[in-house]
Amino acid sequence: MINLIQILIEGALVGLVYGLVAISFVVIYRASKIINLAQGEVVVVGAFLLWTFTAGAAAAGYPIPLALGLLLTFAGCVAFGWTVERTIFRPLIGQSAFTIFMAGVALLILLRGLTQLIWGAQSRSMPVILPEGALQLGPFLLNTRLLIGAVFTVVLTIALHAFFTRSRLGLRLAAVAEDHTTAHSLGVSVRQAIAVAWILGTMVATAAAVVLLSGSILSLEVAVIGFKALPVALLGGLESIRGAPLAGLIIGIFEALASAYLDPLTNGAASGLLPYAAMIAVLLIRPYGLFGWRRIERL
Amino acid sequence: MLTLANIDVVYGGVIQVLRSANLEVREGQMVVLLGANGAGKTTTLKAISGLLHSDHGAVTAGRITLAGQDITHADPADIVKAGMVQVLEGRRVLEHLTVHQNLMVGAHLRSDRAAVKADLEKVYNYFPALPKLLDRTAGYLSGGEMQMVLIGRALMARPRLLILDEPSMGLAPILTQQLFQTISRIKREEGLTVLLVEQNARSAIAQCDYGYIMEGGRIVLHGSRESLEGNQDVQEFYLGMGAANDRTSYREVKHYRRRKRWLG
Repeated sequence: MINLIQILIEGALVGLVYGLVAISFVVIYRASKIINLAQGEVVVVGAFLLWTFTAGAAAAGYPIPLALGLLLTFAGCVAFGWTVERTIFRPLIGQSAFTIFMAGVALLILLRGLTQLIWGAQSRSMPVILPEGALQLGPFLLNTRLLIGAVFTVVLTIALHAFFTRSRLGLRLAAVAEDHTTAHSLGVSVRQAIAVAWILGTMVATAAAVVLLSGSILSLEVAVIGFKALPVALLGGLESIRGAPLAGLIIGIFEALASAYLDPLTNGAASGLLPYAAMIAVLLIRPYGLFGWRRIERL
Repeated sequence: MLTLANIDVVYGGVIQVLRSANLEVREGQMVVLLGANGAGKTTTLKAISGLLHSDHGAVTAGRITLAGQDITHADPADIVKAGMVQVLEGRRVLEHLTVHQNLMVGAHLRSDRAAVKADLEKVYNYFPALPKLLDRTAGYLSGGEMQMVLIGRALMARPRLLILDEPSMGLAPILTQQLFQTISRIKREEGLTVLLVEQNARSAIAQCDYGYIMEGGRIVLHGSRESLEGNQDVQEFYLGMGAANDRTSYREVKHYRRRKRWLG
């Protein structure tokens, strides 16, 4: 029993980190109606920026204090998110969904190549940013890094929900998420809203990189987190900020259970397969996800 | 306050919809723009509000000015900032947001919180049904309720010129009447200038100060309320009075349409 609860806790914590990446999908999708397939690569770029301004700078003989390094990383994210929106997706506003989807695929390949070109293919060790170790809670052990990440995800979800429902900028983004023409008629700059969404999405993806990779190994394979978080975003509903961490919990727990009980019987395939099986099941039953925007039809 | 001088609008680079359209809305007036489906009314409004771009349309000739400022090719956001808000046709509420959020989106350009709050109270005063609906999802409201949200949302931007595109579409006659009365009251009490596009000619002409009639992308007739009400063609084609009732076949109507007086 204790073993089962431990598995559930670990699954929940990992799931909330998936939820964090899923939030970055949602923030971008709401404004631009783009499911950014390259979101995993965006996490990798954020991670490499983080490495550059921490371990990389120290190795080159210019040590930067951690706080400043983080600040520079997020400044880099802002520039990166803005550049992607400006150069690739802004010119495509009004084009067909297929064109935009293909641009997403192109961005994925482009970012993979560029990352390798700039930082090389070798693995790097990331500095320890979040405390290592585990918290003892009765008979259970909670990974401190994941626990901080999970708490951060929950706090960020509450903050983003308040931002989208109360603040003026958030309401602008919400209006753009609903309908570009209506937003235009109300004087909302759709371009500005989409740019803000990309910047915000990139920053959230980089925050996920901090949680995932603190004290760990950074390589190009980290991008796979994007495809792990995509079913989470779809399950939660692509427009729902609050749906992302909840769906993360569901997928995380199922993955952990499959990993513990089914993987030994399936040569480790079950836990890898499960999120995608869940994604297909969700798309068949609730195409808009658990908490996504259902199309309101008036008859 | 608003002037359109010789406006041409072309969609997709080939389809000309407006041909040298001229229109003037004076401060404090309610001006109505009438015309059959496809006459170019909505295109005129979209040209004014800078919303043609999303339909691949563009103003190719002429000049639009708002309070002396050239807004022919201005950004929609700048036009709203300059004091003009359009309520689009087809009840475009932000469906998944609440009524309160819809109203607040209207005020997104304003930072004066106290005044925004006061304006919210004003909107509730004009539409007393709204306070009870604040937490409802806008997409599930009835047509009449949606129209209240839309006009309330536009008022939250504190416009000087309000443009309404067929607000009565799909509403019951009694609701239409109430709606026009409320619009008149808002105009009077807020000193608002209103440009109204309507199919419901009788109600619209009764409320307006001045009217324009459009056909085939051109303004074919304009005049004060009295002159429009007295005009025989307007009576027959828009108010359903007079000789039109005697014609029973399409052929006769078609024949009659050909000799419409304003087409010369």
